[in-house]
Parts: sequence; structure tokens; C-alpha cells
Amino acid sequence: MTLKITSRTLSRSGINSQVGTETVKVTGDGHEFAAPKGEMLITAAQDNGTYIPRFCWHPRMKPVGMCRMCLVEIETPRGKALITACTNAVADGMAVDTKSDVVKKAQEGVLEFLLINHPLDCPVCDRGGECPLQDHTLAYGPGESRFVEEKRHFEKPIPISKLVFLDRERCILCARCTRFSDEVSGDPLIEFLDRGNYTQVNTFPEEPFSSYFAGNTVQICPVGALTAKPYRFRARPWDLTAIDSTCPHCTAGDHITVQSSQNEILRFLGAESEAVNWGWLSDKCRFGFEYINSPDRVTTPLVRGQDGSMQEASWAEALDLVAARLGEIKQAAKQIAVLGGARGTNEDAYALSKFARVALGTNHVDCQMDDGLDPQFLAATADRALIADLDNAKTILIWGPDLKEEHPTLYLRARHSAQERGARLVIVHPRATGLDDWAAHKVSYRPGSGAEVLTRFRSEGDDLAAAVSDTPLVALVGRTGYGEDGRLAEAVAAFVRSKGGKVLPLARRSNVYGALDMGLAPNLAPGRISPDLFSAWGSWPAGRGKDAGGILDGLSSGDILGLVLVGADPIRDVPNGVLARKALESAKFVVALDQFLTDSSRLAHVVLPVEGFAEKDGTVTNVEGRVQKVNRVTPGPGQSRADWSILDDLAERMGSSIGLASAVAIAKEIEATAPAYAGVTWDLLGSMTEGVVVPLHGDTQPLVFVPADAPGKSPSGDLVLHYARTMFDDGVLLRHSPSLADLAPGAAVFLNPDDLRRLGLTAGGEAVVQTSQGSAQLMVKEDDSLAHGVAYVPFNQPGTPSLGNDPVVTITPLQT
Amino acid sequence: MNAPLLVTKRMVEHPTDSHTLERYKATGGYAAAKRAVSMTRDELVEAVKSSGLLGRGGAAFSAGLKWSFLAPARPAYLVVNGDESEPGTFKDRQLLERDPHQLIEGVIITAIANEVHHAFIYIRGEYPKPARRVQQAVEEAYRQGYLGQGIFNTDFDLEVIVHLGAGAYICGEETALINSLEGLRGEPRLKPPYFPAAVGLYNKPTIVNNVETLSNLPHILNDGVDAFKALGHEADTGTFLFSVSGHVEKPGNYELPHGLTWRELIFDVAGGIPNGRKLKTWIPGGASAPWFVPPDHLDLPITKDDTAKAGSMLGSGAVVVMNDSTCVVRAAERVVRFFAHESCGQCTPCREGTSWLELILRRIESGQGREVDPDLLLDVSDNISVGLAWPPKMTTICPLGPSAVSPIISIIKYFKDEVMAHIHDGRCPLIA
Amino acid sequence: MSKWPEATEERARAIIAQYPNRRSAVMPLLYLAMSEEGYLTEAGMARVAELVGITPAQVLSVASFYTMYKLEPVGRYLISCCTSISCMLLGSDDVLHALEEEVGVASGEVDSEGLIGLEHAECIGACGGAPAMQVNYELIEGINPEKARQLVEWLRKARPEVVNTDEMQSLFGGRPSFDWAITEDVGAVGPYPAYEPFGTVRSSTE
Ligand SMILES: Cc1cc2nc3c(=O)[nH]c(=O)nc-3n(C[C@H](O)[C@H](O)[C@H](O)COP(=O)(O)O)c2cc1C
Ligand code: SF4
Ligand code: FES
Repeated sequence: MTLKITSRTLSRSGINSQVGTETVKVTGDGHEFAAPKGEMLITAAQDNGTYIPRFCWHPRMKPVGMCRMCLVEIETPRGKALITACTNAVADGMAVDTKSDVVKKAQEGVLEFLLINHPLDCPVCDRGGECPLQDHTLAYGPGESRFVEEKRHFEKPIPISKLVFLDRERCILCARCTRFSDEVSGDPLIEFLDRGNYTQVNTFPEEPFSSYFAGNTVQICPVGALTAKPYRFRARPWDLTAIDSTCPHCTAGDHITVQSSQNEILRFLGAESEAVNWGWLSDKCRFGFEYINSPDRVTTPLVRGQDGSMQEASWAEALDLVAARLGEIKQAAKQIAVLGGARGTNEDAYALSKFARVALGTNHVDCQMDDGLDPQFLAATADRALIADLDNAKTILIWGPDLKEEHPTLYLRARHSAQERGARLVIVHPRATGLDDWAAHKVSYRPGSGAEVLTRFRSEGDDLAAAVSDTPLVALVGRTGYGEDGRLAEAVAAFVRSKGGKVLPLARRSNVYGALDMGLAPNLAPGRISPDLFSAWGSWPAGRGKDAGGILDGLSSGDILGLVLVGADPIRDVPNGVLARKALESAKFVVALDQFLTDSSRLAHVVLPVEGFAEKDGTVTNVEGRVQKVNRVTPGPGQSRADWSILDDLAERMGSSIGLASAVAIAKEIEATAPAYAGVTWDLLGSMTEGVVVPLHGDTQPLVFVPADAPGKSPSGDLVLHYARTMFDDGVLLRHSPSLADLAPGAAVFLNPDDLRRLGLTAGGEAVVQTSQGSAQLMVKEDDSLAHGVAYVPFNQPGTPSLGNDPVVTITPLQT
Repeated sequence: MNAPLLVTKRMVEHPTDSHTLERYKATGGYAAAKRAVSMTRDELVEAVKSSGLLGRGGAAFSAGLKWSFLAPARPAYLVVNGDESEPGTFKDRQLLERDPHQLIEGVIITAIANEVHHAFIYIRGEYPKPARRVQQAVEEAYRQGYLGQGIFNTDFDLEVIVHLGAGAYICGEETALINSLEGLRGEPRLKPPYFPAAVGLYNKPTIVNNVETLSNLPHILNDGVDAFKALGHEADTGTFLFSVSGHVEKPGNYELPHGLTWRELIFDVAGGIPNGRKLKTWIPGGASAPWFVPPDHLDLPITKDDTAKAGSMLGSGAVVVMNDSTCVVRAAERVVRFFAHESCGQCTPCREGTSWLELILRRIESGQGREVDPDLLLDVSDNISVGLAWPPKMTTICPLGPSAVSPIISIIKYFKDEVMAHIHDGRCPLIA
Repeated sequence: MSKWPEATEERARAIIAQYPNRRSAVMPLLYLAMSEEGYLTEAGMARVAELVGITPAQVLSVASFYTMYKLEPVGRYLISCCTSISCMLLGSDDVLHALEEEVGVASGEVDSEGLIGLEHAECIGACGGAPAMQVNYELIEGINPEKARQLVEWLRKARPEVVNTDEMQSLFGGRPSFDWAITEDVGAVGPYPAYEPFGTVRSSTE
């Protein structure tokens, strides 16, 4: 099931920038073949059916030619010479011998050298069974070692971060991990130390390998030198079943392989996808699977009893109750709202959208959590970029979330483009971002004053205008934090389009784009069209729907009485958690479809257990509009069911059938009714490793969206709040993934040193942070990347109250 | 031997102050540099090319030819290789310490010839005194207007930085040296590109030359190309500094033309073997070179080609002489240990192989050798240096790993009996 | 990360300014760090990292590659006894043994007082004056076991502020590789090279 990496796709990616369209003729082991000029021998040979063994070479990193495993013989004017196939490009007329006696002897020699100091602990090694060193030894190695001296010793596995262990005795010094962290992820925290025979990989004392991407090094380590805490000693590779899927964590839709044994998910691996993630994953995506096996999963329907406590119930009881309560509210011509749906499949989202419109008769539907952008803008971004457009861009404008925190594989791609291709990065953000070291221009600005910055981009003669004048231009736009008005991103996108650039609009939650495409927004119908053009479901509810903010207000004020929560935890997830709590407490009736009891679903009247990721088949849609499959690996726990089937059942019980029979059937219905998805069948997706980008045909969006102007006024007040997410936080899935649970950076308020002094605060001390929507007591930290008058608070850290999305903030020292 | 001297002339004639600016100027110093500023790049490159000056750092590559390869991109850099660390070699130390202005003048000429405005003099860290002398001389040259902005009242700028190494022989390899200058580990870079002249320091075209190579330049310009060629022996033009050490009566650096025989060098120039002992073997060109033995090689002329034909090299001119009391296993172990210690560790065969060889030799020396060990030594060597050919056919990035096999091949070729005696007797046969 | 005293910081700035690229200053700055504390401490490396804009791990990677950057204390006087081929041929192993006995530690260790560290070194470029050794990288050629012992004794007794190569050569040395010509009155103050740009050179006669 795992994808084969073919170098043809790789050489397109710009890894090997000298590769051109011209071809040369090479003779390999007596057979002539053609290869693109500049291509390395190792890949050229592989494309023509000859595998050359290797350890250090990795298709996504620059060659180092260190392991010397890939030696081949070539003819030179001075006779035959041994060269490394990974560092030498094909040349016209080159004659290569990959199997001569000299080559075989050299290969045996290298393997014998690698093994002299390598422990023979394969039976207890995580890599045993999937170890290139083992495999190559069998295929190319000497029969036995002639080494009778004492092996080199190092202290056995040492933890080098909270997630990764290092066994230096097993290390073969291929430099894949060190190159990855330096070249790919940009946090060179593990390095070669010492020299010669004492060379080892290690970190600086007391400075752990705390990279967001450390897990990739475990995956690409060719031996068991690097192992990951969540997987150590958990399984033997030959017992694992591997199924390809799409990562459920961020919006890039990273291609992954899910490995399980006896219905237990044991590991996510990054899978090669030229279009999306190049095989890489962030640690959140890689290790954020533990929650699936959590004992805290909800496994039976729960109904709140008279005494307020949650009681287990049968499905029939629970569904009857929900249908009855929602039916009552509907009967009384009162309003019901639907929140969530952005973390499931398109099929579930379609079912939810249909359920809301047909069974509940409501347009109060939102899959965003009051933290996103206009749904029509997200669904209908004109001149939408592909992730791969970053590879050709001369200029990349990033005006949105810190990619490293929220869109990790896009961060890697943008970094690659700047670092290896010299793309000019222009970054606008209130504080330092992970890409700043490669930024040609960095604007640190006060949230709320974005319109002024945009004016500079529009002013001829301004250096910012000049900074984005080179095309191709690709922009990644979104809200930098919750204090930022979403309309700014629309205005930035419109500006970028006016320069002939392309835009990737950034939103949150893995399948938010798919959910919007299925109509999980007040003003959208399935297939990226406005409701008035959609007739497949018969009538469409009248009236303007409310978005998440409106829904929470409506619940709090009693305008809305019922709420269907689907995989959403607004109390933790919307900026204004205080409002969300009030809304849930005020609601007459709340039903939650969830995998866990969250802060929010705990307040529901009925909780229905659902299947989660890897427990169901379906499709998802990423930031580009790329539709990809997710696949079932294990059954859901207990009595959990798929969202669509619960919703179908409920609709039935409410007397308004929505007629959904299976995920496949829903997919067919989507294909038939949602215009942008015409032609997207599971059969088609099943045969495409990179999915398809919708709309499939033509380049027009069904919906034309007119962007708003940039919001004009800066917030008044002395200090504004930059309230933004970090990769690790107190989200429910992370909370239930023990390996990641303590990685959140923790609550604090960050201020520029001048502001610290002005406000009478000291770094390390405590302060009271107050907005119109909330207040918190936080530790004070210094951050000189912040502009004056900006206070940064990381969102949703363990134990912090919510501060809301009103950017005006006051900060006072804690009186003791 | 009373051959004319070039690079050591001043220090021989003026033993107390050859390193001072006054003495340097009083003996014609900086005249060549002054001439060079008014010459074109082509004229200078041509002069050096036709002088036949070969690099003195070990590879004996034509200096002029190397310069002519310099890629057109600018800035370009000049790096002076003063890392001299190969066992047996101590000639650059003398040049740095005793005649630093001669080197600086060579730097100026090279910079002009190659349109280079930044030069680095990389001196090994264990040479603080030579580094101090060079640093002082550089400062004097700045004060004189020979270095800095607008040298010799022209519009040519030349900045010179003296950079200290920190104990790593491999930094003598030019691409490792460049990495070291960039603040990286001193690991040799991949070839191709074969010459830093294409892509070198900061990925810019870079000339790397040895201290002695550049110290010759003022003489070539002052005395003329023909005089320089006339001094030498056929293809080996000019003079050559031999560092003679080990079991000889008069160790030291000797500046000589090529073409003497080894007998003349060891017995006449260096005074022969002291204490009535006999010559057993010698390393003709630094620790990397395969060894020579009497009588086979004694009457070979010391030229680049004759030495190569006999399966070795002149390298950087280090001649290490061993008398008949020398245990060759121990001598070989010492040389192999050096390479194992100095391996940068990148290439599997060098990192693992050199240490393995060292361990086997040490075992044999300590009387724990096994019958199979000589074959094992050769086969492990073969896996580092394919076919045990000379010059080596490498399985590695740089020649350091393959260099480590020279002593092994040598002792098994010439002293197999002595090696076997260690194995059979369980001890060194030379110790009574 | 804590800074060095202003004079050292000033030197660091001057060194960085020389190079076309900040990172090139790593090696000289590591010597500055050593001269501050006698060896390379984590704090010293962290300061270097900060000054050149790389991670401490990258600094350690470089530092640990080179033998002269000492990651642990090596004493006030570091004796490096060459045992490479030319010195070995002329008896350096006996010199090393004598030193081990006299200092009372094995090669690679420091005496209990932290005064004298001993190491055997690969070729120090003094083969013509073999056997040779260095104290704080200041050279003595033509040594022998007896002279080596005397040198240790002298270091213990005289505890020179500055070790000067000419002084040691005249007291304990024998035949040099070549004529040293005039004597210098400067020398080293710790186990790192005495070199003016590092501020590590002192006059031994003052
Ligand atoms: C392992 C190794 C060590 C070397 N050490 C030195 C050295 O210490 N000094 C030197 O000048 N060249 C050394 N070289 C040669 C240099 O790589 C380079 O060829 C030389 O500096 C070029 O200068 P030249 O052409 O003037 O000789 C070494 C080469 C190798 C492979
Ligand atoms: S041969 Fe040895 S010294 Fe040379 S690059 Fe390879 S490992 Fe380093
Ligand atoms: S794969 Fe080519 S040297 Fe390692």
C-alpha cells in the first residue's frame, strides 16, 4: 500500500535544480538508456530498473556522499574509477558498471565497515525487519565479519527530546537526521559531534531536539538509532498492516500511511506526495494518533439524567430523545443551530449540511469557530494557488498565521523555496515567525493596523510594493491571530490578484475546506455555490443563517434554543470561550456528536459516540481544494457510529428523511449534486495517489466572491492583543495523546521590553490581562520581536481562561 | 651541497632578523609586488605558468594552470594553506616564522594576478609563534600601504586575514580548509567540483596555494622565469624544501633542486645514519607516501616522475628516515594511528577502516597477532584503496583514508618476515 | 546568555567584522571563549552561538571537531607531547612515560591540583627537532625524558605567569628543527595559543 517513491516526480520538484529537459545517453551495465541531463546516477539508474544500494542519500535532501554504499564504476580517460552514484550526475556517453567485481567488493567492504561497530541487537531493535542495513547486508554484504576487536561503545538510548531517543551505537552516521533538521526544518539542534571514529550525533547539553519536525528524523533514520517514544517496542514491522490515508490534523492534507496491528493504530508515517507534503509530517500530525486508542473515548450514547449526570443509554433511547427534543423546538418555530463538522469527512459534512437544511430547517450552520474567514471567500478564492506553486514562485507573501505553528508542511515547503531556490519571502505578522530567518522582508505590525500596511504594498515607490513586484507571486493569507479582522485577508488576496498573483487562503481545522464545500456555512450550498442555485434537496430554509459568533450570541440571548455540536468544542476552540460557555449553558437542548467528553460536550444533554479518523472511509478536501481519500483501518470503539448514519437515523425519526445509505452512496450524491465536485468519484480517487483538485474541469469557480475592503480603523487603546495558536495546545485530541500532552508551551503574556518597562512589569512576574471578553492571570515574558503596543498570548494553553477576539487589552501587574 | 637558495636564502644569510620588514626591504623585498601592480593579470598568470612552478602542498599541481582555471565570478578569494600537519613536514613553519614578508609579497602577487581582494592565511593552531610573526608582518605591511585600501598607491584593495586552525590535519585538504574558514567542521567537500577555483570559499571562486608555493613568487618575478627554471631539474623547476627527520645525523629543512639521488640526500646532505646503524627504510614524501628501501631506491633521482614510477610520491617533501633498530610494525602503527586520529569521519571506509587497521597493527605489535592478520590488513586496505594501486583508487571523498594504507602495503611488501615474526614469536623480534 | 567582559566582547566584535561572513568567526571566537574560562564551557559556546547567529549545537559540532578546543579543564599548563612517527623514532614514547610519571597522571588527564594537563599529540611540526613537545602550544624541541621531568618540576615550582618558548627551549631543549634566530619575550597564559588578536599574548619579562 505504501507508495513507491519515483525519482521522476522528484526531479520535477526542484530538488535537483540542474536537471533540465535535455537528455543524455548513458550505458548502464551494458544497456543504453536515456536520462535527463544533470540527474544523479542513483536516480537515473533506478528509473531504468537498476537499484543502487544507499544509506545516506535521501531524495528530499542534498547528497552528502558519506556512506559510500552507492559506489559504481565508470570509465574515465585514465581507466576505471569508483564514484558515488548519489553525487555524480549522468553525462553523455557515460559508461557505468553497477555490478562489476570491483563494485561488489567495494559494497561488501562498506557493509563490513558499517557493521564492525554496529551492535547486533536486531531482535530488540524497533527497526528490525524494516532496516536498510539488515536488508543491504543480506543482499550485498559479506558473509561474516572479520572484526575481532572491541566495538565502540556509547551510553545506550538517551532521550534527546520528549519524543525521540538516540542510540549512538546503532548510528551509521548517514547524516540524514542532521541534514533534515538543518536543511529541511531549519532547526539544527542535532549535529555531528567529535571526529573520525568518535563521530556521533548528539544535541547540545540541556538543549533538547525539540523540533516540531523531529519525528521525520526517526522515519528517515536507516537504522534504529533514532526511535520515537510513542512507538518504541510497540510492534514488529512484519505484524503491521499499512493503509494509506490523509492526515487528520492540519489543512494541508498530508499524505500518510497508517500502520496498525490487531486493530490498534500504532504509527503514522509520512508518505510521499509530490503535490502535498513530500513525505514529511509535523510531530503533531505524526504522533497525534494516540487519542484514537484512548480509553477515554465515548463508546455508548450518553444521556443527561434528572440529577444532571451522564447516563449510558441505548442508541434507540438516545436518538428518540434527540429527535423528540429537536422536533419540539422546531415545532415551536424556534431556532436550532449546527456547529462543527470541520474535522470529519466530506461525506459526514454533506450529511450534516443536509440534516440541518432538510431535517432541522435551519441556516444557522457553521463549521468554523468564529476564528476564520468569510466562507464564500474560502470556498471561492479566485486564482487559488496549489501548494506546488510555492516551488515556482519568485515571491511568496505570507500574511496570516505563523506557518510553522499552524500549517507545518506549508512551512517546510515555503522554507525550501526560499532556501534552495531563492524565492523572496515577504512576511507580515505581529511577531517573529518560524520563517523569519529566510524572509527578505518582514513587517511586524500591530494587529488591527493591517490596512495601513496594505496601503504601503499598494503605494508605488514603497519598498514593500517593490518587494512583491516579482512574479510568479503566491500569497498565503489568513488571520494572523484572533485580534485581526478576517476581512483584511480578503483585501490582501484581492491585492495579490491585482498583481497577477495566486492565493492560498488559510483556515483552521483539517477538513474545513471540505466542510465548506458541503455547505457547512450559513450562505453556502454544497459544491461552492450560493443556496439560491441549489435545488437538489427541494426547498432551502428561508432566512439568513448566523455564523458561529452569531449562533453563540443567539444561544446566550435565547434566540436560538437547540444546538447540534459535531466534533466541536467551542468552549476551548472559539476565541471567546466565555461566550461559548454561556451559550451552552443557556441552550435548551444540546446534542453532541463526539469522540470525547470535551469541556463543551460535557454540557450537552445527549452525547452520541462517533467513529473518528481511521475508523471510516471517506474523502477530505485540503487548502488547495484537493480531494483525497481517508481510509478505514480499524473499527470505531464500542457502539460508535459514523456521523452520517446517526444523522440519517435522526432525520428519519424527525420525519424528514435525508436518504443517506452509506459513505459511498453519499459520495455519489455529492458527485451528482455539488457542482465543484462533478466527476470526483471514489474510483477516480482510489487510483490517484495525490487526489484531485476541484473543480475538476475548467478553471472557473462556480461562485464569484467580491472581497471586502480592508477594515479601516485601528483599534483604539494603548495595547492590542495578538491572540494566536501554537502547534501544541490544550485541544481535546492532544489532551488525549499522552506523548504530546505536555508539549504545549504554556500560558504567558509576551511584551516588547519597552512595554514591559512602561507598564511596570517584570519578565518572570505575573500580570492581569483583561479584555472586554475575558481576563487571565499570566506569567510575563519578554519578546523583542513584538511591535510596541502589542501583547501576545498563545491561545488555548492548559489552564488559561479565554480572552476573546476583542483586540483591546489592558495589562496590569499582579498586586501581591 | 651549495645549490643556490631562493626561499630560505634570506634566513640563511641573515639569521637574526630575516623576519623583519627592514631586512626584507633591505634585501630587495616588495620590489616584485611593486612590479606586479603594473602588470596585467594575463602577464602574471602567464609568467607563473611558464615558470613551471608546481604546488608545494603535496599535489604538485601547476600553480599557473590552477590560476588560469579561476572562474570569472567575483568576489573571488585567495587562501594560503599554512595548515602543515603531515607527520615529517615542518618546512612551512620555517618560512612563516623566518620570512613572513616573503609570503605576504607572494600573496600580493597572487591577489593581483587573480583579481582577488580578500586573502586568508590559514595557519595551524599549534603554530602560535609563526602566526604571531605573520600577524606582525601583515600589520607592518598594512602600515606601509602594501596591504589594505589602494595598495602601493594604486586603486587595488587587498585585505589579508590570518586565521588560526585548531588541531585538525584534515584542514590541510583544501576543501576542508575552506569549510573550516567558513566556521564549519573541517570536512572535505564532495568532488566534483574538483577545484575550489570553480566553487570555493563562500561558494565563490577561490585559489588555494601552499605557503612555500607562494613564497617562490617574488623570486620568479625578480629573477625571471628562465632563472627559476634553470635552477630546477627538467619538469621540476625551481627549488624544493625537503624536511628530513628521523634517524639522520643532521635533520632539518633543506632547500634543494630536484634530481639528487636519495643516497645523496640521506647520506650527504643529512649526514647519514648516526650511531653506526644502518638505513632500513624511509618515507620519501610524508606520512601518506609508500615507503622506499635500500638498495632498490637509493640511487633513484629525486624527481616527481621517478618517484611516481617507483610507486610513491614526493608529496610535501617530508623525508622520514628509519634505521635498522626500527620496528616496522610499530612505525606503521604510528602512521596509521595518525590517519585514524585525523580522519574527519565522513566516509565509512576511512572512519571505520583506518581505526580497524590501527587496532590490528596494535594487536600484532603487542604479540597478539594472528596468522590471518597480514591478509586481513591488506584486504581491509583494499576496501579503502581499491586494488592498493598508487596513486590510490579511492572509495572515499578525499585521499586521507587511502593514505593510511601506504605504511601497511609497505611493511607487508618489504618486511613481511618481520611482521610474521611478531605473530609467531608473540613479540617484536628486534627487542633482544 | 551572559556576555563576556567588555574588552573581550570588543575583541569579538572586531573579529566578526573582519570576515565577509559572521559564521567564519566561530573558530577565533571559540579561542576567545577558552581564554575567558580556561576551557570551553557551555556558557562560552552559547555566547559564541549567539554572536554568530547559529545554534549552540552547531557551535559544539565545530568545537568538538578540533582537538585544540578543550571541552573540559586541562589545567593551567597543557603539555602536549608529540608521539607521531619522527618523534617516536627518536624516543618520544619514553618522554611521554617520563611525563606521565612526573605529572602523576596518564596522558589525557589533569593533575589533581588542576595545574598541569598532559596529552600526547599528533605531529606538531617539529620533526627536525624530535622529540618535541609543547606547553600551552609553546614549543620545546630536542627534549629527552630527563629534561622533560625537569620541565615539569620547573612549571610546578616557578609557576610562570607566561610560558615562553625561547625560555623553555634554552632551559630544557636540545637541537631544534632550524635556527630560531632572535628570541621573543612573549608567551602564552593558558592552554590556548598565544596570539595577539585573541588577547592571549603577554610579555614574559614584565
Ligand atoms: C589529507 C590532505 C592533507 C593536506 N594537507 C596539506 C597541508 O597541510 N598543507 C598544504 O599546503 N597542502 C595540503 N594538502 C594539499 C591541499 O589540498 C592543496 O592541494 C594545496 O594546498 C594546494 O596548494 P599548492 O598547489 O600550492 O600545493 C593536503 C591534501 C590532503 C588530501
Ligand atoms: S577520506 Fe577520511 S578524511 Fe577524507 S573525507 Fe573521507 S572520512 Fe574525511
Ligand atoms: S548513498 Fe551515496 S554515498 Fe551514501
